[in-house]
This record gives sequence, structure tokens and C-alpha cells, in this order.
Amino acid sequence: MARLKLYSAIFVVLMALSTTQAVVERTGLVDFDAPETYWTAFGVVLVLSFVKATFVATYYMHLRWEPRSVTYLFLGGLFVALALTTAAAYSIL
Amino acid sequence: MSHGEAGGHEFPPMRSIKRWFVTTNHKDIGILYTITALFFLVLGGVLAMLMRVQLWSPGASVLSAGAYNQAVSAHGLLMVFWFISPFAFGFANYLVPLQIGADDLAFPRLNAMSYWAYLFSGLLFVASFFQGGTFDGGWTMYAPLNLPTYMPNIGGTTVVLALIMFIAAVTMGSVNFLTTMYRMRAEGLRMRDLPMFSMSILLTVWMMLFAFAALLAALMILAAEHLFGVTYFSAEGGTLLWTHLFWFFGHPEVYIVFFPALGIMAECFQTFTGQRIVGRKWFVLAMVLVALQSFVVWMHHMFLTGINLEIKTLFMVTTIGISLPFDLMVFSLIYTMIKGRIRFTTPFLFSLGALVLFIIGGITGVFLGAVVLDYEFRGTYWVVAHFHYVMVGGATGLFAGIYYWFPKMTGRMYDEYLGKVHFALYFVGFNLLYFPLFVAWETPRRVFDYAPGLTSWHQVASVGGFVLGASFLVMFYNLFVSMATGEEVGDNPWEYSTTAEWAVSSPPPLENFPGEPSYAGGTLSFRDEPELTADGSGDGESAGAASTDGGVQTDGATAGGGTGLVGEPGTATPTAAGTGAVHADEEHADHASFWPFVVCFAGFLAFLGVSGIQSGGAYLGLTAVGGVLSAVGFVGLANESFHVPEPTVAEQWPFGGVENMKLGMWTFLASDVVLFGGFIGSYLFLRVANGWIDWHHEFIPEAHVTFPGLVNTYLLLASSFAVVLSLVAAHRDSSRGVVGALSLTWLLGVGFLINKGLEWQHLFHISTEAFPNGWNVGTNVASSTFYLTTGLHGAHVIVGLIMLVYMIPRAWKGAYLDDDSSIEYFGLYWHFVDIVWLFLFPLFYIL
Repeated sequence: MARLKLYSAIFVVLMALSTTQAVVERTGLVDFDAPETYWTAFGVVLVLSFVKATFVATYYMHLRWEPRSVTYLFLGGLFVALALTTAAAYSIL
Repeated sequence: MSHGEAGGHEFPPMRSIKRWFVTTNHKDIGILYTITALFFLVLGGVLAMLMRVQLWSPGASVLSAGAYNQAVSAHGLLMVFWFISPFAFGFANYLVPLQIGADDLAFPRLNAMSYWAYLFSGLLFVASFFQGGTFDGGWTMYAPLNLPTYMPNIGGTTVVLALIMFIAAVTMGSVNFLTTMYRMRAEGLRMRDLPMFSMSILLTVWMMLFAFAALLAALMILAAEHLFGVTYFSAEGGTLLWTHLFWFFGHPEVYIVFFPALGIMAECFQTFTGQRIVGRKWFVLAMVLVALQSFVVWMHHMFLTGINLEIKTLFMVTTIGISLPFDLMVFSLIYTMIKGRIRFTTPFLFSLGALVLFIIGGITGVFLGAVVLDYEFRGTYWVVAHFHYVMVGGATGLFAGIYYWFPKMTGRMYDEYLGKVHFALYFVGFNLLYFPLFVAWETPRRVFDYAPGLTSWHQVASVGGFVLGASFLVMFYNLFVSMATGEEVGDNPWEYSTTAEWAVSSPPPLENFPGEPSYAGGTLSFRDEPELTADGSGDGESAGAASTDGGVQTDGATAGGGTGLVGEPGTATPTAAGTGAVHADEEHADHASFWPFVVCFAGFLAFLGVSGIQSGGAYLGLTAVGGVLSAVGFVGLANESFHVPEPTVAEQWPFGGVENMKLGMWTFLASDVVLFGGFIGSYLFLRVANGWIDWHHEFIPEAHVTFPGLVNTYLLLASSFAVVLSLVAAHRDSSRGVVGALSLTWLLGVGFLINKGLEWQHLFHISTEAFPNGWNVGTNVASSTFYLTTGLHGAHVIVGLIMLVYMIPRAWKGAYLDDDSSIEYFGLYWHFVDIVWLFLFPLFYIL
């Protein structure tokens, strides 16, 4: 029962954070003509996505209750993907 | 019980053709891999000889220009993908379970499917020759040469699809090996003590898991360029994007090819010098370091592109850096020879030859790792010579493997004299072929015209090529004849061999060991626990003298400082308990399934059909037949009763408590992260290349708004929560609850797809000043990235929905109340798909 309450609370948080991302866009913070505002909103929106993904992986995918090595396995894939993306994008800056 | 005659599970004997279509046993699959890889060696070799004939004189016309381009490209692709690694994985399949003390791989049917996907992907490649010509853009498949504009033949598309099917095989194999090696090691066998060959395979599959996922992303995008007309590699920055994706895979691929050979060399050096590898711990650490570093050197293949100087300098440093651990390994092998007593058997000669060739290949590669020198050497025969010394040098190590383990696989010894003749011809032919190419380095790569002054060097190389080719006739003759008439060997024909495969009969029994293998006592022993003994007469334990490769364990510690001889001559052999005991699970383990073959044959038909689907007709029919047969195959696979016992006692660090299926799913998802990373990374790269803000102004219609994405986010999050609810219901033994929650998940997933379909329909048909003909997949680079990335995600949703269609009726019958693990595994997949969307939503709808 305790777990169900936890899962339900996380679901509410996930929905709220998603709505927040849309609100950031609707309130004009994602302004393509105002770089400073845009990149701030960019950071906020992506951080919110990372927070949501962490909640899903940690609780819905039960990483919290698995050996830490499973987390490292998943993060290994993420690290590889980020390394490719970051270095490739940097190479043409 | 011999390998061939083993049965009890309606498993056909080795002489039966049927056996080879239904087998899931790792040793059979290993033999199938080995033979198939040798077939592709011959095919690729014949193409190479055609090239060498063409190169006999400058601008010769034995082949037409187009045929030459096809021969060059097909030779490279076939040798790199369909020969070298699969050849190594023939040994890996056969030997890794034996070396770690497992009865089989963790997922035997997946292993069979991996093999069949490999075989049919190769046949798909062969079919491409008959579709107006095969791929002719070089093995690196650079853009824009790989695009339909420059390669309109259907055969070019077929090769792209063949590579996709090949990577499916590789991914299945990687997941299987990682799960097996982490979860099914014999008691007492620590990771650090894995035999050198198994250690090399472990690191290889790690690299394969991630590197091939990046290539898969590149190939799926390329296939979409051919089939759907998306715009990626033809867009601004597109050619550079291909090189990033390709070489992110391509450089680890060098080590993916070489590591198994290194493992074999280490095994052979140990056995034939009677000396444990000097500095074994450091040797292993160096291999781990190379495996990690292999992912941070790829841009040294791109020094001549427009990437900035800072990144070139950084990658020059990392490239020079990766040579250091290799130096350590080379010196370790040399010092092992110095400290041991060498016996120049055929496997040792090939191992030593591989070391010499790799040293030359490595040193000449350092030239290419320096930016300034690379400006001169790139695109010349220096590169061709260098990478053949590395890649074929690696293959040389693999040929050591075939001689080393031939007695184990067949029970008979090869002809040693002919083995040495093979080595002599091979080594002379190899160096005659490739060394002159260093001298004639100014020859432009992939071009059959060259300066007349280089003719004599090319003629020497061509002679060398034919000597090298002829050497294989000796090998095939030797092995073929020896298989029937060679001297029978016992369990272990090699003095000083220490690994577990030599402690069982040759060939090994169907389920490998006469009991539960254990290293807990310091040496390999087989526990015939009374309760596991069929006749109840087991004496409890029998021992062989094989040790872990890390040295004989004493009280849990690794003994032997690497200074003495390993093992005792001729003692690593006892096998059976002598009690007639059988492993209790043996009566229940299944080894035969026809469905992996059916699924992969169907995949072959479907891919062949898709390759020409734009021309309709027969291709459309093939696609339909392949699709239907695939569905039949998967249903057959899902409904088949197939029992795979897990070992009762096993070392499972660091994944203890994570059952095999769950670890397999997590491993697959880690690979899928890189696949999506490749797609998302491509989008980000192209957006940077086209100007991040300009992208929005120039390429995105105003009709592309946030709301549909937000709705889909809500739907997917709710569906994830519904999966969680189904697990809760299963815990509460509520069959109706499970059915209801899974059905809700399905409905929300379908809702997601409907919403996406409506959104796409709307965007397809907008008509504005900027986009008068709608915003379609090929309208611009932004529309291509949007439809393809979200389309890939949608395909994942569809796969999940298909799984649910299978699960919901089973849940109705109460299938998941006693064991809810299937729901959990499905949940892992579904939640992952949800996570991916959590990033697609902001990237494609907000930012």
C-alpha cells in the first residue's frame, strides 16, 4: 500500500512537471529572438526532463531497489550517447 | 556421452541435417558461425583477388570502373562485418560457456536467432549483387556517395538493410554473452580470474553493445533516406554527421575485431610457453583501458574534415594515448616468451605472427594519429596497408584459434606439418601483399589507376595476394581431411593448457560438464550432489586440474605470482565423475527450436522485399510474405515451451539478485539508449550545423505547436503509471486488476498513436506561404528529423502494444499472479519508451 501511494505521488509530480514545461513555453520564455531568455528557458525545460526521467527510472523501473551495478549499466549507455552528441556538436562550433 | 549422440530431448544427432536447423546448443552454434564466417572469407577473398588482378597494371580494364568500386566496397564490408568478428564469435560461442563453467548461454534460442540473423543478413548482401549491382560507396559508406542520388541501384539499399539485420544479430549476441558471463560463472570464478579469451570476449561485447548501436542509428537514417526520402546526410552538415556516427562505431570496431584475437594469442602464449602471461593483472587492466579509450578517439579519422583545430588536437592526444596500453600488452607477450619455454606449434606460430604483424600495424598507425602526417597520408595506400596489418593481423590470431581448438571441437588432431606449411605461405603471402603498399603509399585509395613508377610494387602485392589465398587451400585441406582421419586426441592434447574446456572430453558432452563446476576449492571440480544425481550414487565430487586463468586459488586468494609454470603437464584433463551421474537439469533442458530459423528467414524475405518496395510488384509481395511469416514465427517462439535451467550455484557479481531475463532487458535498454542517442544526437548536430535559432525560423511551420506533444506526454506518463498499477494488482492476486491495468496501458498507448497520427496528418497537409505543399518527411531537415525520430519512438510504442496483445489474454487466465516478473520486464521496456519521450517532447515541441 505504501508503494502505491509513492507511485501515485510520483505520477502527480510527473504530470505537474510536464505541465510546467508547457507553461514555460506558453508564457513566452522560449523566445527565439531573445537569446538570454531562450537559453535560460532551455536549461529549465531540459533539467525538468532529466528530473522526470530520473523519477521514472528510479521508482517505476525500480532502480532504487536494484543493485547499483544496474544503474551504472544504464548510465553507461547514457554517457556514451552524451559523449557522442557533445563532442560531435562541439567539433563544428 | 558424445556431443553428437547426446539426446533425450528429441534432439537430432549431429549427422542429421535437421539438427543444424533446430539446434540452440552453444557448441553447435559456434560451429555454424565458424563455417559461415569461412564462407564469407572465401567470398571476400575472391573479390580481393579480382582487385589485385585489376591492379596488376595502372588503369587496367579487367573490371569495369563500376564493378571495381563494387568489388572494393563489398570486399571491405564482407571481411569486416561478415568474416572477422563472426569468426571470432564462432570460438566465443563454443568456448566461453565451457571456460566459465556454464551449460550453455543464458538465452539459447536468442543465440540461435543471432546466428540465423547473421547468416541471412549475409545472404541478403549476396542477393544485392543481383539487384542491379551492390553497394559501391566504399566500406566506410561516406555521404553523399551513400545516398540514392549517387547509388540508385536497389542493391545499394539492400546492403544497408543487410547491415541493419547484421546489427540485430550482434545486439542479440551482446546481450546474451553479457548476461551469461555476469550471471552463470562457476562457483569461485571471479570476474578478474576469467580466462584470457573469455576476458577478451567480455570486453568485446561491451564495445559491441554500444558501438554498433551508433552504427545502427546511422544505418536506419540512411535506409530512411533511400526508402522515404528523408533529408539528413544531404543536408547542411550531413556528410560530417555520417562520419561522426560511422567512426564512433568504426574505431571501437578495430578493437572489436582485434580483442578476441588478442585473447587467443594470450591463451596460446600461455599454453605453448608453459608460462602464465607476465603481468596478467596489468595486461587485463590495459585491455579495459583500451576498451574505454576506444570511444574517445574516433575523430582521428576526420582530421581532413572541417572539424575545429581544438578537437583535432584533443583527439590526436587521445589517439597517441591509446597506443600506451597496447605497448604494455605487447611487452607482456614478449616477456612471456622470454620467461617460458616455447614450442613452435602451428597455433603458436600464428599467434607470434599476429603479434609481429600487429606491431607493424600499430606503429604505422601512429603516423595517422598525428594531424600533420595524416594530412599527407589520408586517402592513400598507407592507410590501406596500415589497417590490413591491424585487421588481418587480428585475423591471424583467429587462425591460431582454429588450430588451437580444432582438437577440442572435433576430437582429432590436425596435421602439424601442413599447419606449418599454411603458416609459412600465409606469413610470406601476407607480407608480400601488404608491405609493398607502404612503399607504394602514394597510390590513391579505392582507385585502380596509379603512377606507372609504382607498377612493380603493385605486381609484388598481387603475387602476394595469390600466395596468401593459396595458403587457405592448405588450411581447408588440412582441416577437412583431419576431421575424418586425424589422430584421435584425448581431452587435452596440449601440455600446460589450464582452462576448463580442456577438462572435458573432445568434443565436449552436450551439456558440457559431468556435474556442477566449481572453483571454490582452488581448482576446477565437478560437484555431483546426491540430490542432483539421477541414480543417487554420486560420490559428491570429482576433480580436474584446470585452474582459473588468474592462477590457482587458495583459500579464496589468487596464488601464483606469474613466475612459474602454470598447471602440471597433462593433468588438466580428467572429466567424468565416473559414477554415471547426470546433471539433474539435463533431463529438462531443451536444445531444439525451429522458430529462430523461421523468424530470421522471414526477416530475410521482408528486408529483401523492403529494399525494392518503391518499385512494387514482387517486392511488395515479398514484404507481405516476410511480414506474415515473421508474425507466425514470433507467435511460435512465444508459445513454445522451452526450458533453460539456471545453475543452482553460480558467481554473479556484480549482478547478484538480478535474474537473467531482467539483466538481459536492462542490457538491451542500455544499447537502445545509444540508438536513440544517435537519433537525438543527429538532430542536435544538424540543428547546430544549420544554426540553432535559424532552424526554428526557417524550417518549422507555425502549425507545429506544443499541445499535441503535451497531450502525448500525459498519455504516456499515465500508461506508465498503469503498468505500475498492474504490478501492484499482481502482488494483490487480483487477476481483474492486472487485466484492467494492462488494458488501460494498451488503450493509452493506442491513444498516443492516434494523437500522433492526427498531428502528422495535420502537418502533412498544411498550406502556408513557407510550406505550400505541406510539411512532409522530405520537406526539409527539420521535418526529417522530427518525423524520423518520433517515428522510431512510435515504432517502439507499437512493439510494446504488440507485447500487450500477447500478455492481456494470458493475464485473463491468471498467468501473472504467481510470477509477475513478465509484467516487470515489460514495464522496464515501456517505462524506457516513456523516458525517451520525456526528452523528445521538449526537444521537438518546445525548444
